[in-house]
Amino acid sequence: MTGPDTDLVNLFQDEVAQRLDQMDSVLLTAESGNAEAAAVDSLFRHAHTIKGAAGMLGFEHIQVLAHAVEDVLARVRAAAAFPPELAALLLRATAALRAMTAGTAEPDDDLLDELAASAVGGDSPDAGGHDEGPGAPAPAQAAISRPADPPARAAGSPHTLRVPAGKIDHLLDVAGEIMQYRSRLGHTLGPEAQAFPDIAEMLSTGGRLLDDLRDTAVGMRTLPLSVITAALPRAVRDLARAAGKDVDFAMTGTETQIDRVILESLPEALTHLLRNAVAHGIEAPAERESAGKPRRGRIELRAAGRGSMVQIVVTDDGRGACPEVIDAAGREGSLTDLLARPGYSTAPEVTEAAGRGVGLDAVRSQVSSAGGTLDIRSEPGRGMDVVLLLPLSLALAEVVLAQRGGAVYGIPLAATEEVISVGMSPTLQGRPSAEVRGQPVPVTDMAAALGADEPPPGGQAPGLVISAGGRRAVVTCDAVLGTEEVMVKSLGPVLAGLPGYTGAAILGDGRVVLLVDPSVLARAPALAAGTAVPGAAPAPAAPAKVLVVEDSFTVRELQRSIIEAAGYPVATARDGRDALDVLRSDRQIALVITDVEMPGLDGIELTRAIRADAARSSLPVVIVTLHGSEEVWRRAMDAGADEFMAKHSFDQQALLSCVERLLGR
Amino acid sequence: VAAEIYALPVQNALEVADLGPVTPVPGARPELVGIANMRGQILPVMDLAELLGIAREGQRTATPEPQQGTSPTAPPGRVLVAEAAGLRVGFTVDEVHGVAEFAGPSAEARSGVLAGTVLSDGQLIGFIDVPRLFGLFDGTQQ
Repeated sequence: MTGPDTDLVNLFQDEVAQRLDQMDSVLLTAESGNAEAAAVDSLFRHAHTIKGAAGMLGFEHIQVLAHAVEDVLARVRAAAAFPPELAALLLRATAALRAMTAGTAEPDDDLLDELAASAVGGDSPDAGGHDEGPGAPAPAQAAISRPADPPARAAGSPHTLRVPAGKIDHLLDVAGEIMQYRSRLGHTLGPEAQAFPDIAEMLSTGGRLLDDLRDTAVGMRTLPLSVITAALPRAVRDLARAAGKDVDFAMTGTETQIDRVILESLPEALTHLLRNAVAHGIEAPAERESAGKPRRGRIELRAAGRGSMVQIVVTDDGRGACPEVIDAAGREGSLTDLLARPGYSTAPEVTEAAGRGVGLDAVRSQVSSAGGTLDIRSEPGRGMDVVLLLPLSLALAEVVLAQRGGAVYGIPLAATEEVISVGMSPTLQGRPSAEVRGQPVPVTDMAAALGADEPPPGGQAPGLVISAGGRRAVVTCDAVLGTEEVMVKSLGPVLAGLPGYTGAAILGDGRVVLLVDPSVLARAPALAAGTAVPGAAPAPAAPAKVLVVEDSFTVRELQRSIIEAAGYPVATARDGRDALDVLRSDRQIALVITDVEMPGLDGIELTRAIRADAARSSLPVVIVTLHGSEEVWRRAMDAGADEFMAKHSFDQQALLSCVERLLGR
Repeated sequence: VAAEIYALPVQNALEVADLGPVTPVPGARPELVGIANMRGQILPVMDLAELLGIAREGQRTATPEPQQGTSPTAPPGRVLVAEAAGLRVGFTVDEVHGVAEFAGPSAEARSGVLAGTVLSDGQLIGFIDVPRLFGLFDGTQQ
């Protein structure tokens, strides 16, 4: 069909149907004479919303009928009594609205007349019910124009079912659990099972089907951004006109899908950012000309998928933040921190340009509660970029799993830049800091940041470089266990007010991990200098080289950084076959540290291959695995491994002492 | 609970389960032992002794202790899952004695989260005031 976007129409139809259902149930109660005052209010609200939505989409017949219903209800509300007889008429109206919304009915003039009669009826509340007759005066009927067709489901478009969100979430939960069971089944059967073509085939087909099931379930929760952005061009135009500014507004990537719940919270935030851009960013035409810019300002909204995240950028070519504000931001930490500080723009020294902060704190907390980040960049005179990074789905998140004090936490992968090894903690302005790619970054202990009571991490601690809300921090933990895509579960109403967490997830082994809000980590007060761990003196460079074999990039880089920090040169390989190639070409390798589960040649087979090679049969091999089961341990030992370490108990100290023992130092 | 006996209306009790690993939640109220995996849902687990204001013998706490196994903390024993006011909470208990019918409790001992007490076979049993107990958890109590 032509006219409004099909998605929008479907959304409208869903919403109206839902509201009509609620109206019907209230009306049925009212018909039996049990109407409460609140019931009229809710009826009025529903009718009003339907009217507004229909008007926005240009469905005038629906708008007119909803308006008539609203009039009747306004009268009922004023009279503070609901005559039960009125319910029947209103139920007819809701039925008509339902049919018109579905595109299966023509407007009914008689019904409109009756509603109008009822609305202007006698002065006493009782009269409302009696005055329904055709004798009552018909008000302003002639003024009603009806050019619009009622929306029909697009011809050939598939039938749409309305499903409560809870059911879809449950479907996701169940899909997630089945996936966990599948991966446990795979591990229980072990790599030998892959030797049976039937079992291997069943496992891989099962995995594929489950991925499909999960993606479908996640897809049910997402909608394109265009559902909410359709109204924005008009809003920008009106704002610009009111402010006496010339603005071109362009949107790209509005087909990007995003979680429905996040989507619902976005219009307010986006309108806010656009209002700021028009009111405080774009200069008046004359000012732009004298600054050598085109008279018309330009505001863009760009959206694009970024893996499991969606990036939305609101950018303008206006005056940007003034140099003083940028200087202040440098002292404050970041421009985002300064502008999004609650109440910033009400500060007395604030000038027009700094008015950009109006309500940004609200936008930031909204973004952050959805598990996203807000970042503001600006150059004086060149405009401003506000970057929202939001999860595509509230149901799925890519997290880095980090262990601290016996518990495992999940940190959004999107906020994690890299994993480094934090040894010596030189202090900067009394705060411990580490050097990340030449930049000093404050160091925070994860336990301290979250308020857990733990002894400080010892020795060389792995540190996650977290970037959120325009701030960076190195967050130390006991061990980094790798990355995983997890189903996000709500902490529930009991823990709803707890800051610092965005939810929880259940791992394959049934453990619950807390998902940490990265902005809390990035903002946390730094570890007190006194508790900083003095770094181990780097060991003298040794020719003995360590080969790290691991298919996970995160774990590989983590192990490399730990071992390198202790003074050993490190080579890496992605899997067993890769490792054999490295061993053939690099004779310096004196120790192999390998994962078990890897594509192609796994760790056990690699160990056997090393033992079978006369030239290297005595090369020490350490097997590191996520699943420290006795069975895997036995197979590792049978294959000829020297040491066996479980990843969940993996800490860098144990790894280093193991390396030192095997290299005889 | 710590050698004392308490009663909870049976319509609020959902089940008694052996508690698997409980993940501690740093920064949360002290009564919160942590969160547990209840068949794929997140269940907050509260220390009933702490809520009732009685000290537990041997201080069976949820202090995280690194373990070789899969459990992030020592399981605090059994948990009674109860639901009221739309909230579902697990309470750590030492033992569940069973279901019994009592006459209305005397309200004299009413205090805190207790609705009253009843004497049964020489044993004083505290009746838990469920709406009040759950009232403690509602909303943003942090």
